Amino acid sequence: MESIVHSEPQQVDGAYRPSNVQNMDRLAAIHQEMEYLNAIGKRFVAAIDRFQVHRALLAALQDLYHFTACSILLKGEPFDLSIIPCYPLSEAFLEAMMHSIVSAASVIDFPQLSVEELARTAYLDAPDELSTVLRSDEVGGSKIGSVLNIPLTVESRIIGMLSLFDERSEAFDTDHLKLTTMIADYAAVALENVRLREREMALWRQTEAERQRLELIIGSMSEGLLITDSRGMITLLNHSARHLMAHAQVELKQDMPLRTLAEASKVEWLSLLVAIVERASKGETVTNQELIAGERGETVPLTLSISAAPLYDANHPDSHPTGVVAVLNDITSSKQIEKLKDEFVSIVSHELRTPLTAIKGYTQHLMRRIERRLRKLRAQQIENPPSGPTTESPESTDLRNLSIVESQAEHLERLINDLLDLSRVQWGKLELHYTTFFLADVLIECIHSAQVGAENHTIELDIQTKDTKIVADVPRIGQVVGNVLDNAIKYSPHGGQVIVRLSEHEGQYLVSIIDQGIGISPEYLDHIFERFYRVRNKASRQYAGIGLGLYVTKAIVEQHGGSIWVASNAQVGSTFSFTLPKTPQM
Amino acid sequence: MSLMSDDSSSVSRTQIAEAYLQALRLIDDRVTPFLGKATTRVLVQGAAKRLASTYSFLHFLTKMPYTEIVPSVIQEQLGGVTSTELAAGLDALLEECFAGLKELTGDLIAPPIHEEVIRQLEQLH
Repeated sequence: MESIVHSEPQQVDGAYRPSNVQNMDRLAAIHQEMEYLNAIGKRFVAAIDRFQVHRALLAALQDLYHFTACSILLKGEPFDLSIIPCYPLSEAFLEAMMHSIVSAASVIDFPQLSVEELARTAYLDAPDELSTVLRSDEVGGSKIGSVLNIPLTVESRIIGMLSLFDERSEAFDTDHLKLTTMIADYAAVALENVRLREREMALWRQTEAERQRLELIIGSMSEGLLITDSRGMITLLNHSARHLMAHAQVELKQDMPLRTLAEASKVEWLSLLVAIVERASKGETVTNQELIAGERGETVPLTLSISAAPLYDANHPDSHPTGVVAVLNDITSSKQIEKLKDEFVSIVSHELRTPLTAIKGYTQHLMRRIERRLRKLRAQQIENPPSGPTTESPESTDLRNLSIVESQAEHLERLINDLLDLSRVQWGKLELHYTTFFLADVLIECIHSAQVGAENHTIELDIQTKDTKIVADVPRIGQVVGNVLDNAIKYSPHGGQVIVRLSEHEGQYLVSIIDQGIGISPEYLDHIFERFYRVRNKASRQYAGIGLGLYVTKAIVEQHGGSIWVASNAQVGSTFSFTLPKTPQM
Repeated sequence: MSLMSDDSSSVSRTQIAEAYLQALRLIDDRVTPFLGKATTRVLVQGAAKRLASTYSFLHFLTKMPYTEIVPSVIQEQLGGVTSTELAAGLDALLEECFAGLKELTGDLIAPPIHEEVIRQLEQLH
C-alpha cells in the first residue's frame, strides 16, 4: 500500500498553489486514507478479546507489509507476551526475537526483563486462517533481517510494545511508519478496553461469588434476618425469619411495608417490632430487645430477642440510613431454662430454710444452757478458788464451737434469704410494708452494726439534710444500706474511711456510700447490678459472694420508686448512690 | 567525540545547554510525527535515566519533560557542572537517544535525524 501520511508538512504559500487536479488527487488520497482507517477502526472496535485484537492487528499490518511474525508485549504484573507468527518459526528465530524484544523494551522504560522470563511466559497465537495462505512445510529462517518496534500508548501512557520481525533486510519502510504507529494506537486502545473488560468481568465474577456465599450464609443462619429499605419495605427475609414469623402466626412477605402489615394484623408484638425497626431507620442501634411473640397464657411463651441497626450507603456513610437490618433470635428455650432454674432455686431455698431454722434454734438453746453452766462454774470457783493453774473448761470450748456454728448458720441464712429475695424479685412478689420512720436512724443503726466487724475502717455519717422522715419499708431499707455498706468494707481490704452521706436531691433522699477500696474497672460497671454477676479479675477473686446482693438491692430501691447507680475508679474507690422518694410513689 | 566542536570550553554552560536542548527539540519535532509524543519523551527520559549514574546532573531530565526546560531551570539544575562535563553528558544523552531510536525503528528514521542534529549543533557553534 502506498504511503498516505506525509512526514513533512505541505508547503502552501503564494508562490505555490495546487491546481484543481492536484486538489482532487489529494482529496481522493484523504478519502482513501479515511476509508482505510475506518475499516481498521471497525475491526478493532468489534474485538472483544485479545485474540480478536490480534486478528485485527494482523489483518491491518498485512495490508502494509509482508513479515514473518509480530509480537505484543504488555506491561503488567506479570507482563504478557503474545507472539503471532505468520508461519512456523524456527527455534533460533524465536530466540532472536526474544533478545530483540528485551533490548527494545529497555529503551522505552519497561521494567527489567530477561530473555528467559520472556521465553517462559510467551504465548504463540497462530491464527487458523493463516494456514490457508502458507505452505505446511514452510519453516522460517533463523536470523532476523528487519525489526520494527512501536510502543503501544494510551493517553500518553505506554502500555506495551508492538514488534514486527522479518527475515529479509529492509522489510519495513519510512513511508508506512506513521500508519503503523496509528494501527498500534488502535491496537493499544483495543487491548486496554479488553483489559478493562476482563477486569470488569473478574470483578463481576468475584462479586457474584461473594453474593452467592452471602446468600448461603444468610440462608443457613439459625437467627432470623430481616432487611428493610428506608421506607420500611421488607427487601430480604431469610428462612429462619419466615419460620419464626410463621410460628408466631404472622406471614411476612418481601416487598411489603412492615408498618402496613402491623396495622392490618391483630398480633400485638408486630407493632413493637415496627417501632424497633423505625428507631433503627432513624440511625439508632437497638440491641437485644425482648418481645413476647407467643400466647400470654403459655407457661413460657415464644420469646424473641431483636437487634436492629441502620444500613448506610457505603459511598455516603454520613447520609440518612438506606435501610435497616434486624436480627431475630428465638430465646424461648433459654427462657424455659431460666424459669426452671428460678423454680429450682426457690424450692431449694424454702427447703433449706426449715432445717436451718432448727439448727439455729437448737444451737442457740445449747449455747444458753452452756452459758448457764459456765456462770454456775465461775460462781463456784470464786467461792473455792482452785489451788493449781486454771485450765479452760470443756464448757468454754463447747461455747466457742457453738458460736462458730451459729455464725455459719447465720451466714447460710443470709444466703438463703438472698435466694428467696431473688425468687420474689423474679416473680414480682417482693412486697413492701410501709411505715414512717427517720432514715437517719436506719443509717446510724446500719453503721453501728457494720462497724463491729470492721476494726480497720472508720465509718462516718454525714447528714446534709434537716428532715430525714420517710415512708418506706424499714427492714428492706436496712437491707439496702447493709448490703452496700458490707460491700464497701469487704472491698476495702486495707481499711480506710467509709462515708455514708444523706442529702436531698430533686425532692428525694440521696444516700451515697463512698469507700477507698479496690474500685471497679469501667468495663464491669454496666453489669454490676445483674444477678449472679461477679467481677472476674485478680483483685476481686479473693472475695466471697454469689452476686445477688446488689441485684436484690437494686430491686428494692426501684420498688420504692428510687434508682441506684455506681461511680468507680479501679484502685481509687467506689461511690454507690441511691435515691428514695420521701413518700411512696403511687 | 563531542557533537560540538572540540573547543567547547570556550563557550558558556548556558550556551552548551541551550544548544543541546535545541537538538532535543529537533529530535522531538522529527520523531513525534512518526512515533508519537509519549514515545519520544520516554526515549529521551529513558536515555537520561540510563546515563544518570555516569552524569548525575542528567537526573533532572528524568523528572520533567525536556520540552518544559527553560534557561532558569538549567541554571538551577546545572550549578557546579563544568562546561566540559556538561558537553560530554549532553553529548552522551543525544547518542543514547539515537541508540534507543535505532533499537526501535532500525535505520528507518534515525540516520537522517542524526545528521540533521549534528548540522544544527555545528551551526550553533
